[in-house]
Amino acid sequence: MSIAEKLQEIVGRDWVVAKREQMERYLADETADAIRPKPADNVVLVKPASAEEISAILKMANQEKTPVFVRGGGTGICGGAVPIADGILLSMERLDRIIEVDRNNLMVVAEAGVPFGNMLKAVEEASLFFPPHPGDEGAHVGGLVACNAGGTRAVKYGVIRNFVRGLEAVLPTGEIITTGGKLLKNNQGLDLMHLLINSNGTLGVITKVIFRLCPKFNSSGTLVISYDSRHKAIDTVPQILQSGVIPLAIEYVERDVIEISARRLSMTWPATKGLAYLMVILTGDSEDEVYSQGERVSDICERNGAVDILIAERREEQANILKIRSEVYSSLKPRVADVLDITVPPASIGVMMDRVDAVAQRYDVKIPTYGHAADGNLHPHLMVDLAEKGILREVKRAVYQDAIELGGVITGEHGLGVIRLADLDLCPDGKIWELMRGIKQVFDPNNILSPGIGVL
Amino acid sequence: MRIIVPLKQVPDMNQVKFDVERGRVDRSSAGTEINPFDLHALEVSVQMKENMGGTVTVISMGPCRAESSLRDALARGADNALLLEDRKFAGADTLATSYTIACAIRKLGKFDLIICGEKTVDGDTGQVGPEIAEHLGIPHIAYVSRLEVREQTMVAQCEMGGRAYTMESDFPVLLTVTKDLNIPRLPGFRDKVKARQVVVEVWGTRELADFVDISRCGVRGSPTRVHRVIIPSEENRKGKIFRNAAEEAIAEIAEDLLRHLN
Repeated sequence: MSIAEKLQEIVGRDWVVAKREQMERYLADETADAIRPKPADNVVLVKPASAEEISAILKMANQEKTPVFVRGGGTGICGGAVPIADGILLSMERLDRIIEVDRNNLMVVAEAGVPFGNMLKAVEEASLFFPPHPGDEGAHVGGLVACNAGGTRAVKYGVIRNFVRGLEAVLPTGEIITTGGKLLKNNQGLDLMHLLINSNGTLGVITKVIFRLCPKFNSSGTLVISYDSRHKAIDTVPQILQSGVIPLAIEYVERDVIEISARRLSMTWPATKGLAYLMVILTGDSEDEVYSQGERVSDICERNGAVDILIAERREEQANILKIRSEVYSSLKPRVADVLDITVPPASIGVMMDRVDAVAQRYDVKIPTYGHAADGNLHPHLMVDLAEKGILREVKRAVYQDAIELGGVITGEHGLGVIRLADLDLCPDGKIWELMRGIKQVFDPNNILSPGIGVL
Repeated sequence: MRIIVPLKQVPDMNQVKFDVERGRVDRSSAGTEINPFDLHALEVSVQMKENMGGTVTVISMGPCRAESSLRDALARGADNALLLEDRKFAGADTLATSYTIACAIRKLGKFDLIICGEKTVDGDTGQVGPEIAEHLGIPHIAYVSRLEVREQTMVAQCEMGGRAYTMESDFPVLLTVTKDLNIPRLPGFRDKVKARQVVVEVWGTRELADFVDISRCGVRGSPTRVHRVIIPSEENRKGKIFRNAAEEAIAEIAEDLLRHLN
């Protein structure tokens, strides 16, 4: 019996796809074309509906020693959802139930294949709030956990990891495990839940997620702060945080980049002055609280040379600004060869920007850069002309080297996926990689789950 | 150029819930804001003022909380704000609303232009603007999507019934404008801080005593009666698999499409 037939026995014949032309859209993610890994030739796509079906699939695959790759919303940008070896591609799309929004415990329980946007809507309808916003609302909630997504709203509350309270996952050997729960404290042994977060589908298939929620804030405002120089903008950021105001988000963008995104969306970037911008989202219990924070932020920005400060309070206006910012990568993508994801200590972000400038100058190229300024997380974009000149890898490694020298890492939120594994030699301390390999071996003795992705 | 912009505070329609039993908008379920169409009226007015000089006065009828929308308009470039607030104005339909606003405009004195949004997102009638013009005995041009203002006249392009019209008018004239006309600006933060401190002038029946016939205001002046409100049910996407039955599938899909078209 072929793998496809065995899969049909488990999930029914409507949910197994073996014809290549019927699975094209499942074979790529949002990674830039120039560096996206090629999918393998012989892939069978399966769409299970439950953890039990996934368990049966993994047991079979483990027995057959057939690689299994897990696919959520396919919104990742490090090649993590691409089936890079012959085997099974497991789409999570049918595990799409929001099981419960628990107002008493301030938690939401959802199956892994729920699109993030659907979960946000359900949470909002319950008058609650889920702080992180990794950008693409087509991402699946399981994928957000498997990649420990970050995004714009991590300054005040942190990344996805900070909100996961419990997980159900199927191990590569087929057992279904539950870690954590609707709990705020849990010291019952080693924390396997946090091991599964950011495991990139290598340790288990996440099938159910419990997220912690927050009460909805009553008021919010988005400041768009214009500067004539990127340095003045970036230098402001640590001062804002040191002042005691912790915004929901502080984003840094430059005019040429943000206007490309706005044009693509047929929208208009609201600021007409300046070349570099901070986008600061403030939240509070009342309008007065937001304005009080806004005044402190504005004082600091004006002292640092801000030339204009706008405020959006209407829901639609704030959403438009966030949308333009969130779609920068999609807008640049046709011309991007690689988007880096370096992260340095927050106070070093100005120095890191200088280093990126110096690299650009050294190689005589333009490196558009934007990022989550308050997190120290920057996304320098290496454009296709670098690949054409044959210096893509060299420039990338030069930027990575600078980030590491400043105490940073080569990925802050996008993950290692497939595309960054070749540069791990730059990252010190071989022992930690050895430990990771050991952990993978314990979970997945036959190395069937997402081989060649994420950890090793 | 003296420009008047009537504007309405409306609930955020993306958030607001409907009270299905009573058949009306549950205003407590969402925040409030300036009617989105009115922002385009305000923007074109402020642009005209910046280019030609003059003043922009915003005027709204509603409860005290509407002051926040007027302050928002001040931050976005209006010079003066006026709130019409009185229990006797409450429950007004479009006729009573337009009458009351027209009376206030008469009291304000000379003006060149009145610019409204084409309609409000909560009422959706598009009647108040043209009715104000009728009460004041001035011409109006509705659904303006392009505008050229000259010294003594203005030329507007408007779209109605699938046709585009180019109309020219002297002043004074009332325009209702569409969202295609411009992109409203964001207020400056400092302007907003300043506007939040402004004490908005409020006129009630006492201030309008010489200009208004109270029997034509509020519920008393409103001939409109709502008999029934129907809230259509939402349908979600559904999937259906036809297995080896192409003809059956085509027939069913065609039937479905025809039913929806009819």
